[in-house]
Amino acid sequence: MLSLGALAFASPWLLAGLAILPVLWWLLRVTPPAPRRLRFPAIRLLLGLVPREETPARTPLWLILLRMLLVALAIIGLAHPLLNPSARLAIDGPLLLVVDDGWAAAHDWPARQRLMRELIDQAERENRRVVLLDTAPRPGGEAAPAISIQRASDARAAAEALTPLPWPTNRSAALSRLDALTMANANVVWISDGLESEDAFGFAERLNRLGTLRVVSDPADRLATLIAPAQQDGADLAVAVHRPSAEAPAEIAVRVSGDDGRLLTRQSTTLAAGQRDAEIKLPMPGELRNQAARAEIEGEASAGAVLLLDERWRRRPVGIVSTQPGEAPQPLLTGTFYLERALNPFSEVRRGTVGDLLKRETAMLVLADAAPSGREEHDALVKWLDDGGVLLRFAGPDLAESSDDLLPVTLRRGGRTIGGALSWEQPARLASFPPNSPFAGLAIPDDVTVLRQVLAEPSLDLADKTWARLSDGTPLVTGERRGKGWLVLVHTTGSPAWSNLALSGLFVDMLRRVVGLSQGVAGAGDAPLAPVETLDGYGRLQQAPASARSIAGKDFASAVASASQPPGFYGTLDARHALNLASAVPTLKPLGRLPAGVTRDSFTRGSEVDLRPGLLAAAMTLVLLDLLIAYALRGLLPGLARRGATAALVAAIALASPAVRADDDDFALQASSELRLAYIQTGDPQVDQVSLAGLRGLTAVLGRRTAVESGEPMAVDPEKDELIFFPLIYWPVTPDQPTLSPRATERLNRYLATGGTIFFDTRDQGEGGTGRVAGSATQRLRQIAAGLNIPPLQPVPPDHVLTKSFYLLQEFPGRWAGGQIWVQPTEDRVNDGVSTIIIGSNDYAGAWAIDAQGRPAYAVVPGGEPQREMAYRFGVNLVMYTLTGNYKSDQVHVPAILERLGQ
Amino acid sequence: MAQASVQHRAEQLASRLPALLVAADRVATTVAQGVHGRRRVGQGDSFWQFRQYEPGDAAQRIDWRESAKSQRLYVRETEWEAAQSIWLWRDASPSMDYHSDPQLPTKRARADLLLVALAALLVRGGERASLIGSGLPPLSGRVALNRIAALIDRPADTAAASLPGFEPLPRYAQLVLIGDFLSPLDEIHAAIGRYSASGLRGHMLQILDPAEETLPFDGRVRFEGIESDDSVLISRVETVRDEYVERLAAHREGLVAIARPAGWSFATHRTDRPPHAALLALYMALSRQPGS
Repeated sequence: MLSLGALAFASPWLLAGLAILPVLWWLLRVTPPAPRRLRFPAIRLLLGLVPREETPARTPLWLILLRMLLVALAIIGLAHPLLNPSARLAIDGPLLLVVDDGWAAAHDWPARQRLMRELIDQAERENRRVVLLDTAPRPGGEAAPAISIQRASDARAAAEALTPLPWPTNRSAALSRLDALTMANANVVWISDGLESEDAFGFAERLNRLGTLRVVSDPADRLATLIAPAQQDGADLAVAVHRPSAEAPAEIAVRVSGDDGRLLTRQSTTLAAGQRDAEIKLPMPGELRNQAARAEIEGEASAGAVLLLDERWRRRPVGIVSTQPGEAPQPLLTGTFYLERALNPFSEVRRGTVGDLLKRETAMLVLADAAPSGREEHDALVKWLDDGGVLLRFAGPDLAESSDDLLPVTLRRGGRTIGGALSWEQPARLASFPPNSPFAGLAIPDDVTVLRQVLAEPSLDLADKTWARLSDGTPLVTGERRGKGWLVLVHTTGSPAWSNLALSGLFVDMLRRVVGLSQGVAGAGDAPLAPVETLDGYGRLQQAPASARSIAGKDFASAVASASQPPGFYGTLDARHALNLASAVPTLKPLGRLPAGVTRDSFTRGSEVDLRPGLLAAAMTLVLLDLLIAYALRGLLPGLARRGATAALVAAIALASPAVRADDDDFALQASSELRLAYIQTGDPQVDQVSLAGLRGLTAVLGRRTAVESGEPMAVDPEKDELIFFPLIYWPVTPDQPTLSPRATERLNRYLATGGTIFFDTRDQGEGGTGRVAGSATQRLRQIAAGLNIPPLQPVPPDHVLTKSFYLLQEFPGRWAGGQIWVQPTEDRVNDGVSTIIIGSNDYAGAWAIDAQGRPAYAVVPGGEPQREMAYRFGVNLVMYTLTGNYKSDQVHVPAILERLGQ
Repeated sequence: MAQASVQHRAEQLASRLPALLVAADRVATTVAQGVHGRRRVGQGDSFWQFRQYEPGDAAQRIDWRESAKSQRLYVRETEWEAAQSIWLWRDASPSMDYHSDPQLPTKRARADLLLVALAALLVRGGERASLIGSGLPPLSGRVALNRIAALIDRPADTAAASLPGFEPLPRYAQLVLIGDFLSPLDEIHAAIGRYSASGLRGHMLQILDPAEETLPFDGRVRFEGIESDDSVLISRVETVRDEYVERLAAHREGLVAIARPAGWSFATHRTDRPPHAALLALYMALSRQPGS
């Protein structure tokens, strides 16, 4: 093996063949190319001609160079060059492949798998046995099968089947599996996730005793990163990101997406050198925040880079107890209006009675100057409080008179008025919040004053229960722990009646803090939470595997993701509780010290590329090229170049579609510069001629009698023309019309959906028409219309707009009389009530048709000229109907029409 | 089809020239009616002379108008008019089936075209034409043209000689020979000499491909004969080009030297030139009065 940097030759002695290149050069120079052969009539004149110059014709230099290149490629290819050759297996024993398949290996799993493949390939080449040892626990914590010495092909299948698992590795457990195997002189390769663990050193030591150990892992700055819930849950959603190594600055972006995978927000932060952890705030509008289902580190596909978000991250449902459903007549005077406005930005506000609100999951209840209305409600509230609810009460005139036991402090009967008309006192201001208060740190605006309040009976623990007080020291907000919940009382109203606190921004902040006390609706219940969806190693949510076990509700808060309880959503689909991997990963540190004699390696080296097939293929291509050139030089490829040029020209012409485009533009311009009636080309020239003449006649009648001035009718072909320009398309159906291509069907459906109307004329009234016995054209129409979106049809009702849109008609004769006209029922209000499909059978174009002199072209039967007049009137009505829609069906015109009808 | 096509194209070509009347100084001694006055009394349309009635003349032959002018009776005599016979020949040997470029017609095609066009002109002029070696008697009218065209249009005959064989022709007939005349000069001389010795006048038209005239090839080429198995390998054709052109010129001079003493005309034609030029040259040669 000869190695030149990244390039190595497996059979370097073949490179000696390159020495023949100069000889080849000389040979090619002295050997003239084969002569062209030419038949020539005047050969007699050439006989005996001796060229003055005896130097033979030379092979052209470029051809020599080409052939030299060919030979050089072949020689180098045969020497079997390898790019990035992988090291041979060092010692003469089996290959022990130790693979970390925990979550931290997922982000570059393909590189690990490639390395495994390469190593196993190598073992196969050198005929070694392979032992594959994965270090992560099995799903569900089941015992791993005993490891065995396998053939390389079996090991390859096993390696291909390995996938990263969404929990950390357990290296010492893996070591114990090795005990079953006696092995010495092994080539041990540990494909490590690069993370330190307590047992990592001992693990490496033990492996090193088996033979030679090579540890392959990512460089420190490319190890897996972890996302975790932020310590402080502020107003905005926040997540923490951790990385094992802080050698170099790095940029980490976090994206938040909803249940449907929609991206909600994305924030990035730069971790400076030396900084391992960062908190990223993800400000979002409340509505969006409530939809957030997962936060993930961008570009890292691993279970550790995904943070599942459940109710705890969402806006909490807050119930405002109100007996009055809906909007009050004077909302500004009610106590709850201000509360609702203040709570809305960060929580989901519901209103209702206590019973209603407690039926649903509610994080906090607000009682504004109200008390539970009965014993049942009271008991329900107490139970809910013990379970962790937050009850926020506001004082008011009622509470001042009658207190109950759902208060953190005992109240004195009656309130206190500060700064009233008969008092010298000024309205009281707020003192700064005590440090143990949940409100600590909030800034107090100067203009917040309190006019009235209720007073607490002094008691020993009053100071501890006081969360906010006035400048004179009287408590304004008191709170008490009840069970797992909180009971909070604001000693003034939640409306501006007693204090302008409800109008200040401080009110919103205070409410937000109180809501923050609630634990949401998540923690509730002792019932076991069954896994719903769990993450796989790549951080994708999957149906929970059978091996995943439920978690008891009360233990959920302290649950740690593990092999039997993989990270994911637990509970039910409606109330999901997220278990995240971060709790299972204590600290991220890169793999530390290793025993002496261990070589470390990384994945950065490109994989081994065998250049031989490519080079030999290139040489073979050149051989073929050389053959062609030799033929061409001997004149044996006559006309090849010309034929090639012709083909290229034909291709160029075929590709030159602008001409077609110009046609399209012409058509569009022609169709849209004027209102035009259109007919479908059937392919039967006679029928098309009748259609054109008929529409011409109708156009002339329209121009004479109505305000519709339409241009020359146009023929359209749904297979290639755009139809959207025409309000009405006349479609004579012939028995031998071709069926529509899918493209044309799609075009027609689009036309119908965007307001077009097609008038099918089966023209077969003479042979049965659209009656019980279908005429041939009607049958054809059924086949043609099979792909069209045709609504249900009905015969024209007597009061249909078509009967009165211009003329008052009840009969619709064409060239024949008696056929039925079918339209869409007018209940369909789409398309302005205009039927998209009208089907008749009386050969209308035949009745309308005029010749060049403007005379009727075809006789109408049986009615003669009066029937033709009626046919024209129907045509006028039809065009008016498609152009004006349901205008005439307006009731406005009914009286006038009735009058004219003489009714 | 092909016959109609050659004939059609030839007639199209010939339509641009007036009917060819072969200027015959000595009209072939045939009895066939023609347009060449034989300067003696005979059957014909042209007035020749009045002579006095002699006993034995049929009464119908008396020209009453002339006789009425004097006391004597006159008989109207017409000039004996005979047709000139033209014998055509074109080289049908395989060497004529050559063109250096697919865009150009083969020499054979061009020779066929010229020959039929010439025949068409002759027939329109009332002359009689035939093909040497066909055994066809000289004919006039459309029939002659059709027969000639049919004979011409036969597929190439590999055994066809590249020079006309000798056959006894009437005296004073004219010959038109079209071919490449690349045979050795002595062979050509022998073939022409037999005709000229019997007092026949003729015209030679040499048709060559442009490649045969300029030898436009380069590099190492093995030339192979078409009729013979000869082949010659020339390592660099460009070096012998001048010599080849000289040889061709010498060959042509030899042809002229053969034609001139016999009173024959000699012209050359290249297939990349329009055929009208060659047809016009033949037309001029045939209609030229000897000595003029």
